[in-house]
Amino acid sequence: MKKIQLLFICLISITFSSCEKDDICDATTATTPKLIIEFYDILNPTVKKNVTNLAVKEINTTSSLAFTGTSKIKIPLRTSQDLTKYSFILNSTDVTIDNEDFLQFNYSRQTIFVSRACGFKTNFTLDSATPYIKTETSIPDGYWIQNVVINTSNISTENETHVKIYF
Amino acid sequence: MSFLMIAQTKKKDSIPPKIERYGIRFGADISKIVQSFYDKNYKGIEFVGDYRVTKNYYLAGELGNENVNVEDDRVSFTTKGTFLKVGFDYNSYENWLDMRNMIYLGMRYGASTFSQSLNSYKLYNTSTYFSEAPRVISGEKYDGLTSQWIEVVLGLKAEVLKNIYVGFSVRMNRLLTNTKPDNFDNLYIPGFNRTYNGDFGIGFNYSVSYFLPLYKTKSAPKPDPNKK
Repeated sequence: MKKIQLLFICLISITFSSCEKDDICDATTATTPKLIIEFYDILNPTVKKNVTNLAVKEINTTSSLAFTGTSKIKIPLRTSQDLTKYSFILNSTDVTIDNEDFLQFNYSRQTIFVSRACGFKTNFTLDSATPYIKTETSIPDGYWIQNVVINTSNISTENETHVKIYF
Repeated sequence: MSFLMIAQTKKKDSIPPKIERYGIRFGADISKIVQSFYDKNYKGIEFVGDYRVTKNYYLAGELGNENVNVEDDRVSFTTKGTFLKVGFDYNSYENWLDMRNMIYLGMRYGASTFSQSLNSYKLYNTSTYFSEAPRVISGEKYDGLTSQWIEVVLGLKAEVLKNIYVGFSVRMNRLLTNTKPDNFDNLYIPGFNRTYNGDFGIGFNYSVSYFLPLYKTKSAPKPDPNKK
């Protein structure tokens, strides 16, 4: 009977040790992708061009994302609506030469199951007819964004460039 | 133990023939019944049974139904379904005198048909630029799901009163087939228990069962090795 009691205790402890907390979503898991934008030189369209003091701000959000000395940026899209409108201010630190343009991205959303720990993610497909709308500020200061090209309308990973901006 | 044997041998001069009882044992998993009372997210029952085929082998199985509501941080869902497991247990415990306990190893083939409904979920976003999207209420239903698996069972049964047994077992499960719903996963399978990223799972039960003896055999007394 001693043997049985010992085994009982062993088995019960195995049961409880298996009741561990749910795993955390691994940072390497592909979840909701950001929009990848690459900047190119309008005069030499095959050459990437770094932005200087670029401030990117969603129009309904107070904080802005700052980029400088890079030709590639990642910006999030809203997962609660089918459009996200950003203000792109080049040379944002100098009020004498700064230039603000607006880009509104239009898309449809797909909700994809990832895992128990991560839940779901949203993939985006840029609208085929009007993937973006470029607008000026109320006091026109000329466009600094010369051309926008949709490289891929399918936004499901962050491994490829989705949008190319020429300036 | 050997001292006892010798003492007994000296007194009676021979070991009485050992009586082996054969029959059907049936009962239920107490843990599922108890959990159904205190856990508002769980309703379940599992009937257990076995039939002694040879001295050490038992035909064994479980039949049950579960209705589980899982409220995880990122997904919450309800799984409902019925399961059946059949297989065998091998008793490796050598009982002495008139004891009838079991420490057994066994295997089961398990199958379950079930439905799932996704209640709500969160969208995972590594960006914190926008405030986190609110939990999405879904209500999506997935019917006609099936899974099959095998289990390796390690357990014991002890006779606590005449013909009344309590038992405990742990099970290592491995999925063989699993029809997953479109754009969701079977995060819980009735009878299998929760699933992990791979095909493996762990289950257990605490059973109380009644043994219905059908017939007895007498094994011939073993020759006493101490006797010339």
